[in-house]
Order: sequence, then structure tokens, then C-alpha cells
Amino acid sequence: MSRHDAVVVGAGLAGLTAAVRLAEGGASVLVLAKGVGATHLSPCTIDVLGYDPEPVDHPRDALRRLVDARPDHPYRLVGADGVAAAIDWFKGCFADGPLSPYAYAGSVDENMRLPTAVGVLRPSAVVPETMAAGDLRAGGEVCVVGFRALKDFHPVLLADNLGRAAGVQARGLELDVSPEDRADVNALGFARAFDDASFRARVIGQLAGRLGAGERVALPAVLGIADPHAAWRDLEDRLGRPVFEVPTLPPSVPGMRVFATLRERLRRAGGRVILNVVVTGAERAGARIIAVRARVGLRDAVHEADRVVLATGGFASGGLELDSGWVARETALGLPVAGVPAPGDSRFRPGYFDDHPIGRAGVAVDGDQRPVGPDGAPAFDNVTVAGATLAGAEPWREKSGDGLSLATGHRAGGLMLAESGAHAGPAAVGMGG
Amino acid sequence: MAAETGHDVLGELMRGSLDHCVKCTICETFCPVSNVTPLFPGPKYVGPQAERFRVPREESPDASLDYCSGCGICTQVCPQGVQIAEINTQARAKLRKRTGFRLRDRIIARPDLTGRLGTPVAPLANLMLHSRLPRRIADRLLGIDERAPVPAFAGRTFQAWARKHRSPPAPRRVAYFHGCGANWYEPDAGRRTVELLEYLGCQVDVPRGQGCCGLPLQSNGMFEPARRYVRRLTRRLAPSARHGIDIVGTSTSCTLMLKREAREILGLDDDPELRMVSDHVYDICEYLLMLHDRGELRTDFQPLPLTVTYHAPCQQQGHGIGKPALDLMALVPELRVIENDATCCGVAGTYGLKTEKYEIAMDVGAGLFAQIAEARPDLAVCDSETCRWHIEQATGVRTVHPIEILHRAAGLSGPGH
Amino acid sequence: MARLRAEVLVIGGGATGAGVAWDAALRGFDVVLVDRADLAIGTSGRFHGLLHSGGRYVVKDVVAARECVAENAILRRVIPQCIEDTGGLFVTFEDNDPGYGDRFLAGCHTAGLPVEEIPVAEALRMEPVVNPAIQRAFIVPDAAIDVWKTVWSLADGAVAHGARVLTYHKVIGLHTEHDAVTGARLRNELTGEELDIDAGFTINASGAWAAQIVRMAGIEGIGVIPGKGIMIGMNHRLVNTVLNRCAMPADGDILVPIRTISAIGTTDIRAADADEIPVTQAEVDQMLAEGERLVPGLRRARALRVWSGVRPLFQDEKAGGAEVDTRDVSRTHAVVDHRKRDGIAALLTMSGGKLTTLRLMAQDIVDAMCEQLGTDRPCRTAEVRPPRNEDGRYYQVGSRLAKREARLLDEQLICECELVGRERLEETMRARGTINLDDIRRQLRLGMGPCQGGFCIYRATGILHGVGRLSGAQASTSLLAFLQERWKGVWPILYGDQLRQARLDDWIFQGLLDVEHLPETGTGAPAALLEEEPIPA
Repeated sequence: MSRHDAVVVGAGLAGLTAAVRLAEGGASVLVLAKGVGATHLSPCTIDVLGYDPEPVDHPRDALRRLVDARPDHPYRLVGADGVAAAIDWFKGCFADGPLSPYAYAGSVDENMRLPTAVGVLRPSAVVPETMAAGDLRAGGEVCVVGFRALKDFHPVLLADNLGRAAGVQARGLELDVSPEDRADVNALGFARAFDDASFRARVIGQLAGRLGAGERVALPAVLGIADPHAAWRDLEDRLGRPVFEVPTLPPSVPGMRVFATLRERLRRAGGRVILNVVVTGAERAGARIIAVRARVGLRDAVHEADRVVLATGGFASGGLELDSGWVARETALGLPVAGVPAPGDSRFRPGYFDDHPIGRAGVAVDGDQRPVGPDGAPAFDNVTVAGATLAGAEPWREKSGDGLSLATGHRAGGLMLAESGAHAGPAAVGMGG
Repeated sequence: MAAETGHDVLGELMRGSLDHCVKCTICETFCPVSNVTPLFPGPKYVGPQAERFRVPREESPDASLDYCSGCGICTQVCPQGVQIAEINTQARAKLRKRTGFRLRDRIIARPDLTGRLGTPVAPLANLMLHSRLPRRIADRLLGIDERAPVPAFAGRTFQAWARKHRSPPAPRRVAYFHGCGANWYEPDAGRRTVELLEYLGCQVDVPRGQGCCGLPLQSNGMFEPARRYVRRLTRRLAPSARHGIDIVGTSTSCTLMLKREAREILGLDDDPELRMVSDHVYDICEYLLMLHDRGELRTDFQPLPLTVTYHAPCQQQGHGIGKPALDLMALVPELRVIENDATCCGVAGTYGLKTEKYEIAMDVGAGLFAQIAEARPDLAVCDSETCRWHIEQATGVRTVHPIEILHRAAGLSGPGH
Repeated sequence: MARLRAEVLVIGGGATGAGVAWDAALRGFDVVLVDRADLAIGTSGRFHGLLHSGGRYVVKDVVAARECVAENAILRRVIPQCIEDTGGLFVTFEDNDPGYGDRFLAGCHTAGLPVEEIPVAEALRMEPVVNPAIQRAFIVPDAAIDVWKTVWSLADGAVAHGARVLTYHKVIGLHTEHDAVTGARLRNELTGEELDIDAGFTINASGAWAAQIVRMAGIEGIGVIPGKGIMIGMNHRLVNTVLNRCAMPADGDILVPIRTISAIGTTDIRAADADEIPVTQAEVDQMLAEGERLVPGLRRARALRVWSGVRPLFQDEKAGGAEVDTRDVSRTHAVVDHRKRDGIAALLTMSGGKLTTLRLMAQDIVDAMCEQLGTDRPCRTAEVRPPRNEDGRYYQVGSRLAKREARLLDEQLICECELVGRERLEETMRARGTINLDDIRRQLRLGMGPCQGGFCIYRATGILHGVGRLSGAQASTSLLAFLQERWKGVWPILYGDQLRQARLDDWIFQGLLDVEHLPETGTGAPAALLEEEPIPA
């Protein structure tokens, strides 16, 4: 049995954001998670809103339209200003973080268009500085450089598709350079190698004389894990041209950088993290949760808390589950799940890109992000829901994933601090609507 | 019906949990071993992936899984609930059964036997253990790396001390599970634990005849003798548990064995005596923090103007209790604690002792050793004995159990002690 | 128009057609085997993988049972590498017909099927996940057979004996002269080009599509009832022995450990069209409910994929066939001699049959052809092993793991679930010369494991783009086509862990790669497959 001001369930971007905010606001915080969260899988570009469904150029404006058109969308909870506040806070986390001066660039006002590993120009609002030179809205010449040993990034395929975008000229180069000349090295292995100046020198040596005068260089997002700013700057300086990272398939090195940064901030602020525990329910007194129950190995543990942030993710993360009888449940607290077709109705359509009836399922909340039942009444007074658990969005399609998680996690922390009377800062509570 | 009968498709040991794997690769990013050597293809590969290709009637085809150190970090970080390390341990046992058990492994997996043999002749045994020629011979003949840390026999046992010691009556009663480390090699650490617990208001029983918990046998794939060890130890600890007395241990890997691994990995979950003991076992820091959370821990510790580093060993993290040692040490005035940000020191019980794995173990621990060196601490703190020996050998910094810090802060280790 | 000449044209590249091609080629005929798509893509590839011992038929169809007993033994001898010697368990339940167990035993003896009754406790030790409520347990020599491997082995064996195999060639017409079939017109489904084949003899082995073929020669009155069966592949081997409910054949009563998965099957529902056999939710629900009785907890285990196939069950109006439950239609096969039936020579159709008797079916129809041709060439398929079976050893599930172990340090692993390495993938891509990743999938099991291509299909697309010298548009087409094909097999079973996986895959393809906004895609055959050329750097 332990006692904390807040228990945060989930250690992805939403959960860590809420936890850091709470801990830095003076609350005692315990993060309970089944394991490491989705940061390691996400490119961790903060895509506020990429498509509505047309490509979005100005997310701030598009957000307003979205919230008007789709009053059930979770962005209604934070609004454009709440998103902007969250982004400012997020950027600030890096300023004195363990990877400083590694930083994020961009804002909620404009979307950049950055190539994906398959060569689509994808809209993104806020991205690591190491990716920003990949903004090809105005076109440009790009040499995409990959490594044969890195199977999660195919430069020639990328370039072939990218070259078909307006104003873009692209070609691909696959280098046969790898750490210790191994045949199969994942993104993290390359990132460790790129921290090492001698490995960078090998790569630069291979590129000598092979780059066109006006070409920028795209590389997989593996340019360093311990000191990515230094690795990236060194490449830019020595190649004498802009260099940018393109996200690879998981594991995501930029995501690990975000995890390391937020985890370290939480540690410094005294927050505790326990992994490998499964939250199985709660003890309640009236409309409040007074403790969460967690299964640890073969035992149950009880953690008392004044407040609970639920940020366990959606179906991908196990925050939501659908059983073989087609009944959905929220796995940690047993909250009602909205937007799930009845067991006899179809959940998916036969076309992969069709609009699937179950697509926007999740936990429905009130304006204070408290979970509500089918009647719209809050299920608990002191529970706040954040991130991909929320109903009403299809973040992987809208390209709103990390923006939504960051903004709702940020607001969850702010709401709780405000409620507990702790210092939350002026922009702490995002604007509703 | 399924759950009641015990016949359950998912209850088939840990294997069923492989269904939860979505290949996300998070375990691989954390695996201490696969991140330093390509000889180990990584937890996802040898765990949920390879397990789909393993069939009881066929021989184990993948010897590379033997490079798994069994640290368990993969299971801890898996967000999907795959029991990766447990799957690997079971597969490794099957593999070892085929390849046969080396004499070396039979020796290092039985710390109580080596303790029993070495203790009466401690000076001679220690001379052998710490001299170059015998170590070189052991390296070449047995495969125990000559550079690996091996503890010195104390020449007396903790049990012998405990037999003479009478714990004064106190409102709270606990049983102390000391493990092989304290008994044969670090009897003073055992004594300090008893003294601290008494200072904190506990009457301490030391059940007689506590043997090895079987963990080294289990991690070396010798499941049958490991089960015998577990049952033997359980019999010794059961009377305490039967009387509702909590059992606290200072060896964090051995307490984890009784709490979980013997039940999950060795498949002894249907042993009622083990379950009863298991339900009463606590890591000592977990137990003390629990008392503190209830407001029942004496906290009038004396200032300790020291800088220490703290490394939570993998097996301690396997308890799923956070890092209670940090919270306890935070109660000590003037003590500066630097938390190490490392997953594993590399030794993983007996892994780092083996000639073919010693270098890997050193590479795994390199990050931790560098952090400790940079911090220039007065002491390094770590909950597990084999890790302490390894860290001490690699860094030259004296490395102690958190209990020793509290013992000092309680004024029990002053000049008079 | 191009023109080919052959002694024997075999239509249909399933197990039957491949078996016929192998048999005829071994007897020295010059054979062309054609299929409208890839080999083993129809009924054969949509099957659970059970090599029957005959146990399933001993009570109701002793002829079929006897055939299975004999053919099971022969196939074990000639294609051992395609077979895993799992053995089979027949188990009875309390609510079974109480006399069935004894009738089963008696039937086994009549059919000559080796059977042994074992105590229930021993059966549960063998297979701990089996429902402990079983009443009796019998062991029979069932086995698991890899259909793709079988068909490719037979086809390659035929090629080694001079046969030609034309995939993606659809028969669009049969040529007839003087009341005999003399060949066919084909259309290349990838390029649209047409091609004529002059053939001395034509064997129609197109199964559920057989009636459509013979209609091209003006033959009417043959009907094929497509009996739809669905199978759910579970993520891992829940059992290591084929598990059968010992009762009259019904839905969801077989669980087959096949390669790394276990397949539960099957249903039997009359379908209107052999090309339109979507899986319905009711069928999935029914299969799970039945499976749960065999193996309690099955509903919580992970389903990987669901597929449906059609049984080619024949009705011949001239033979007075009436409407019947498809499961009651005899599973034995028959050769339809169109010279006798319709007065059209040089054409035979294979009707009925089952995978276990594919060799016998081929033997019977090639014998009938020899008879019509007046030649006497003995069948050799019971003695000769086709390629990749020469070592005489059964398939080992761990073989890929063992092979991978030897290449851990020097080869890139592309499909992690099914352990497909880069070299094997590139070789196969070159050899097949296909733009279609789905063809590669079937041959190598690429993308058939738990993640259903979530991690490997991007990799495979990048590699195919290089190896096949594809344009970006072609590569995109291939990627998107694979995603749709995969979706077809998973969406009806997306619950539990597989929904979790599918959603992670959505994040990869849509969230990360944004594949739905790929620039325009393109179809058509690869520009050039230059085997000797190095991969472009």
C-alpha cells in the first residue's frame, strides 16, 4: 500500500506528460505501467492535425473547424490554444533536459511536409530539429541515404516515390556501412554508432564526391541517441548542407529521445515509476477513486491516490480490449467504452481504407476529461482520461496522434493541479472548446 | 470451467503469453545483452518468436538463446504482457537438457554446496580462489573466467551467529531469510540486518537450516534439482508463514524466486506450502517502506554525510515494487544519493562468471561502471550480492546493501561496532 | 499470337493439377500445366493442412477411409518433407452418440487403420489444453501436410521431367476438332496477351471451376456445389497432435497443428459462387464456440487469420445427382470420361476427391488417359520422390530456426515472425519474377505470422523495388495490394491480441508511413527482372 497525490496509469506520451506536469507542480506522483509505452514506436513528431481529410496547411485554423464540425472529437477538450500551450511546454522540456541542446521546431500555426520512409510528404506541425530540413513544401533536391544493414529504411524506394511530388527531385543511395560491419542492425544500433564520431566519419567518407551541389541529405532517424544534436550538427557541418532525419519503422530513436527526456524530468521531480504492473481496478468511495489495485506478478498491490490519470492508450496498447464475443472494455478501471458497435453489428468493413465503424471507439469524457457513462454523467470525479484512450478520434488517419496525446496529457496534469490548488502556471489549463 | 480445472490454453506455463507479442521491439531496445553482442539475437527473437518454432518432440535448434543472461528486463519493459524472460528460461532448460550440463555449471549453481565445502577450510579456499594459478586452471579446465569476481568464504556462517543470538521480544515479529550470500560469504551483512530490524522494533526469527533457493540451478537450466531446493527451503520457512509471520530477505533475487519464479518458471504453483511461504515473502526494503507508508517505521536516522550511488538490480526490478531503497535512503539526513540510470550490471547471477560470457558481462556493465566512476561516491549501493561483487571488482568502489546504509544511519555501525 | 504445343494440357494448378502434371511427366508425357493465378491459390491453399489417416471417414464412408489409409502411408514415403508426423487424436465427449466410439474402433479395423485407444489421462498429458471432459481417446496416424510445399514440389518435379508451368494464364476457350478437344486458348492475366496451346489431351483438374471449363467444350449438366468451409488459424501451436472430435463430421471439430500455427476447421455451407466466399461473423462465432469445447480457453487465445475455401463437390445430372448436404456428398473422387459421357474425346475431368488422395486421383486420371490413348505407361508416383523430399525425413517445425541459427551473424532477417531471411527472399523474388508480394507470401510464408506483415511488408517492398527494378508506382501498388489482401483475412477475426496487432499495424502503415497518400500507383508486370544485375546502390 502506498499513498500518492496522483497515480498515473500508462507511460506513453500522454501519461508521462501528465506525470511530469504533476510532479513538477509539486504533487507526489506514481506512474504505473505494464511496460514502456508507445513513445518507442512513434516517430514522436507532434502531428497536430494532418488531414481533415484534405492535407492541412494551418492546423490552428483547421482545429477550430474540426471542433465545430465534430463536437465529439477530443480536440474539443483542449482547443487550438490548449494545443499551443502544450507544445510550448513540451519544447521547454528539452531546453534543460538530458539531451539539450536537442530541441523541437515548428508550431501549431503551420504544417511542414516531411517525407515518410515510403516517400509520402506527410503533414507535421512540430518536429525534432533534426527533421526540420525535410520540410519540402517548397520542393528541393534531396539525396536519400540509407544503409543496407538497416532494413527499416529503404532509400531508393523512398526517393522514387518522393521524386514524384511537385518540385522535388530525389534519388536514393544505399551505403554498405554498418556498426562492426554487421548485416542486420536495428535503428537503435545505428543511433549508438552515430553517437561515435568515427562512425560518422565513415559515413561522410562514403558520401564524398557523391552529392550534388544543391542536394540536401535525408538519413534515417538514427542520428544519435546520447547526443543527437551533436551528431546531426556534425554531419551538417562536414557535409556542408542541410541534413535531416526521416522516421524509420519501430523502434523509434526520436521516440526514445522523448522518453529519456520526460523520464529524466520525472525522476528529477521525484516521480516514481513502476513497470510490469497491471492495474486491475479501483477502490471507490462514492464518486471518487481512493485507490487503484494493481497486479504485480502473483500478488495484488493497492496504491492510494487522490487523483488518477488514465493514459493507457487504445486498442493498440491494450488500454482497450475487444473480446471474442465482441464486447469491449477499458482494461484498467473498467470504464464504459463508447463507439463500439453492438455484438451483432459489423465492426470493420472489407476494404482496408474504408471507414470502419469501430474506428473512433474509446472512453467518452466530459469537458474536464472525466470519464462518462452512456448517460453522460461522470463515472468518477477524480479520474482524468488522456491520450489514445479517448473516444472520437482516429489519430493514425488524421495524423493527430502525438498532438492529441501531448495536449490532453498536458491538460490532464493542469486540471489536477488546478483542482488541488497547487501551482499550475497561467497557461496550465487548456481552453475548452 | 477452464480456470477451475487448471486446464487452460493460456495457462500452459508462460508459453501462452507469446500470443500478446505484437513484435514492437521495445524489449530489444532494452536488452542489455543483445545491445552489446550480436551473439545473442535478442529477447523478441528467442522468446515469443522462436517459441512458435519449438515443439516438444523436436530437439531445440537454437543454441544462441543460451546467451540470454536471464536478467528479466525484457519482461519488465514489455507493454503487452509477454513473459519473455520466463519463456526463454524454460526454453533454455530444454536446450541444456539436450546439450548436457557442464561441470562448471553444476558447481556454480550450488552456492550452498560450495559454501559448505569451502567454509571449514576458508583460508586455504580463499587463497585458491584469489590466486592466479588456480584461477587460471579453473578458467581453462572448467570455464570459470579467471577475471570474474568470486566472493571470499567468511570461514564462519551467519547461521552459527544466529544460533547464539537471542532476539529480544518486540511487538512485531519477522523471519529473516538470509540466503546463501549472507550465510557463507557475508555473515556480517546478515548480522547487520538482524540488528537493524531489532532497532526498528522487530523480533527476528532466523529459521534454521535455510538452504539455497534453487535460483542458480534454475537459471542454469537444472529444473529438477532446483525444484528440490525450493521445496527444501520452503519446508524450513513454512512454520513462520503458517504462524502469519512475514519473511523478509536481503537477497533480492532469492526473494523473487520464492515470490514468483519458482511458481511461474519451475511450475510449482500447485505446491500449497510454497504458495503459503511465497505470499509472506518480502524484499527487506519493500517491507520497510511498507511499514513507513503505514507510519510504523522509526525514522529518527542520524545524519550520514556521504555520497552514494544506487543501482537497482534487474532482479529487484522484477519485484515490481519500484525502488524502495531510494525512498528509505531519502529518510537519512545529509545522505546524497545518486540514482544510476542503468539497467543491468552484467553479471546476472552466475552469467558473468563464465569464460565465454565474462566479456559480455563487462560490456553490459560498462555504462553503469562509468556512471559510478563519474560520481566518485563514498560507497555504491545495490540490493543484490552477485551484482555488488561484480560492481566492486569493476569499479574498485566498495559496494553495499541499502541495509548497511540504514544500519549506519541508525547509529549501529559506529566506531563501537 | 504465340502458340505452344504439348502432349498433355493440365488445367488447374492446385494439388490435383500439380499431382497430375507430376504423374504424367514421370510417365514421359510432355506436359503443360496452367492456372489462372498462382499455384495452390484456390481450394488447395485454403485448407487446414490435415493429412487424413482415414479416421474421419471410418464410420460413414469406408471406401474413403481405405483410400486415406493407403495414401497416407504412400505420401509419408514420397513427400516426407511436406509432412509433419504429428499423429492424431480422436476424442469423444459425453454428449456424443454413446455408441460412436465403438463404431469408430470397428470402422478402423474394417478400413485397416491402425488405431490405439489410450487412457484419457494419457491423452491429457500428451495435449494438456484438451478439454478434460473428454471420455475416450484414440490415436491414429493423422499428420499435418504443407499444401504449398507439396504443390510446388510436385510442380517442380514435373518441370524437372520436361513439363512447363504457366501461372497467371487463364483458359478462355477450349479448341475442339472432330469431337475431340485439341487444346485451349489462354490469356496472360498480367499482360493481357493471348496464347494458343495445341494439346493431344486435356485434363481438367480445376476443381470447383471444372464445370466452367467443360462448358467451353459445350458440355452441360455437370454441376459443382461449392461447399464453403472456413478455417481460423490460431497464432501458435495450441496442440502438437491433430485433434479430432470423434463423432460424425461436423463444424469446428478439427484442430490441426500446421507449421507454427494451429488451424481450427471447418464449416460446410453451400456457396452460390466459388469465387465469392466471404467469411461471415456468424461463421466465426460458430467456429469459436465449437473450438472452445475442444480446447477450453481457445476464445482467449490469439486468432491470426481466417480463410475460407470451397470443396469441389460434383453433381452430374446424367448420373442422376440430387440435391444433398455438401458434407454428405462422397469425398471419394471419380474420373469423368467425356468421351463416354458426352462423346468428346481427349478430355477428362477430375471430380471430387480430397487432398490426402491427390496422388491416387492423379494416378487414376492419367491411367484413364493412357487407356484412351492406347498406351501403357505405369504410374511411378508411389515410388519416386519429387524435389526437396529426397532425404526421406519428415518436416521439422524447428527447421527454419535451425537454419537461421547458422546465419544469425551474416544474414538480415526480413520477416521476423516466420524467419524469412533476405537472401532467400531475394532469390525467390528473382526466380518468380513477380510484382505480387502475395505470391512471395505463399511461397515463403512471408508476412504470415503474428504481425501479418506489419513489420516485414515495408521491408519486402523496398527489397522488391530494388530486385525487380520496379517503378515507385509498381512498388506502391504491390504494397497496397498486399495490405488489402491481408485485411481480407484478418478483419473478421479482429478481437483480442490480433486487434491489438492490427491497430499497431495501422499506426505503422497509416500513422507513420502515410501509405494512403502514396502518389499514383501503377500495375503491370515488372519492367525487367534482371537476375544477374546487382542491386542498384
